[in-house]
Amino acid sequence: MSPSSAPRWRCVASDAISLREWDGEFVVRNERTGSTHLLGSLAGGVLKVLLKADSAASTERIATQLSDAAEETTPLSLRGAIDEVLSEFKRLGLAEPQDR
Amino acid sequence: MIVGDLPRQELAERLAGPGLRVRTGPVVSRIRSRLSRVMEGVALHYADYALEPDEGFADFSVGVASPASPRRWIRPQVEFQFDGVRPFLPLPADQAFALLEWGLNWCVSNHCHQYLIVHGAAVEKSGLALLLPGPPGSGKSTLCAGLVSRGWRLLCDELTLLDLATGSVVPLPRPISLKNESIDVIRRFAPGATINTPVHDTVKGSVAHMKAPTASVRRGAEPARPRWVVLPRFERGATASLAERSRARTFMHLADNAFNYDIHGRRGFEVLEDLIAGSECFECMFGVLEDAVAALDGLARRS
Repeated sequence: MSPSSAPRWRCVASDAISLREWDGEFVVRNERTGSTHLLGSLAGGVLKVLLKADSAASTERIATQLSDAAEETTPLSLRGAIDEVLSEFKRLGLAEPQDR
Repeated sequence: MIVGDLPRQELAERLAGPGLRVRTGPVVSRIRSRLSRVMEGVALHYADYALEPDEGFADFSVGVASPASPRRWIRPQVEFQFDGVRPFLPLPADQAFALLEWGLNWCVSNHCHQYLIVHGAAVEKSGLALLLPGPPGSGKSTLCAGLVSRGWRLLCDELTLLDLATGSVVPLPRPISLKNESIDVIRRFAPGATINTPVHDTVKGSVAHMKAPTASVRRGAEPARPRWVVLPRFERGATASLAERSRARTFMHLADNAFNYDIHGRRGFEVLEDLIAGSECFECMFGVLEDAVAALDGLARRS
C-alpha cells in the first residue's frame, strides 16, 4: 500500500478516553463502550500519539513520533506492529480509520 | 447497647419476632430466624455489634428459615430470605449460620452501590489499609485472619467497600470465613480466636467462621486509606516472598474482581486509579502463615 493510500487513524473523542500509565504499561477506559483495557508500551504509546494529534494520523506518522525523532525512517517491523495495534483499537472502539 | 448485652432469651425472642437490628460498619441488617443454629451463631459472632433501635431503618431485612416442605422431617433444609424473596436454593440445616453470612454478603455486593465493591479482604495498621484481593483458594481469608490475630485491624474479609468520594476503605468488619485446612491453620496460629464448629460438605467444602476482633468491631466507623495491595498466593511448601507487581496489572485485577466497577463508569476508573497510584503492589506467595504475616508486618514497619 503506498503512503498516499494508507488509511489515517483518529482516536474516538478524547473526552471518552481515560488513560493512565505506570512503568510503561497503560490502563485505558473507553467511555463509549464502558470497557477498560490493559495496554502494553507500544499500544499505549500509539494511543497517546492519537490523543495528542490534531488530525488523523497515518501509521508512518505515528511510527515517526514513537521512534527516535532523529531517525529519518522507521523500521518496517514497527510499522507492522502499529498496524496490528490500530486494527485492535478498531475492534475495541478506541480508534477508527478516517473516511478519505 | 450491643448484641452481647441481650439476655439469651431476649435475643431469641427478637430474632423470632420483630428481628434483630444489627449495625456492621455502614450497614444495618434486620435479622430474623427461629433457628437455634442462627441464634447461636449470632450470639457467638455478633456479640460486640451495636444494636439499632427496633423502629430504626434497616438496609436489609433478612431471615433464615426452614422451608415448609415434607423434607423438613427427613433431611431438614434452610433457606435465606431477603425482603420476602428467596434468592438461593435451600441448603442443609447445619449450614444455617453460614447461609446467613453468605446471604448478607450477597445483599451488600448486590445493593451497596454507593461504594465500589472489590472482592477481597482488607486490614489496617496505623491508619493505612492493606488490601488482599483474590479468588477463592488464594489464601486471602487465611492471611486476613492471621493478620488480625497479630494486631492488624479487620476492615473486611470478603467485600472491600471503597468510598467513591474519598477512595478510603469503609470498614465492614464481619466474621471471617475459613475453609477446609485454613480452619486448623488458624486454630494453631491463634489459639485464642473464637471459631465456631465447622460445617462440612458445603459448596465450599468445610466452613467455619472466626469472630471479628472486638476492637475492629468497635472501630467500624473509621475508614482507612489504601496503602498496599497484596495478591496472596498460597502454595504448599513455598517460602514466603513479597514480589513487586505491575501497577497496571494490579489495577486490572481490582477492576476484574470488583462487583460493580462497570456501574460506576468513569468514577470507578478514577477511584482505582487513585488507589493504585497511592499504593505499593505486591504478590505474596506463602506456604506458612507465620512467614507471610511477618513479611506483611515488615511492610507496615517500613512505612
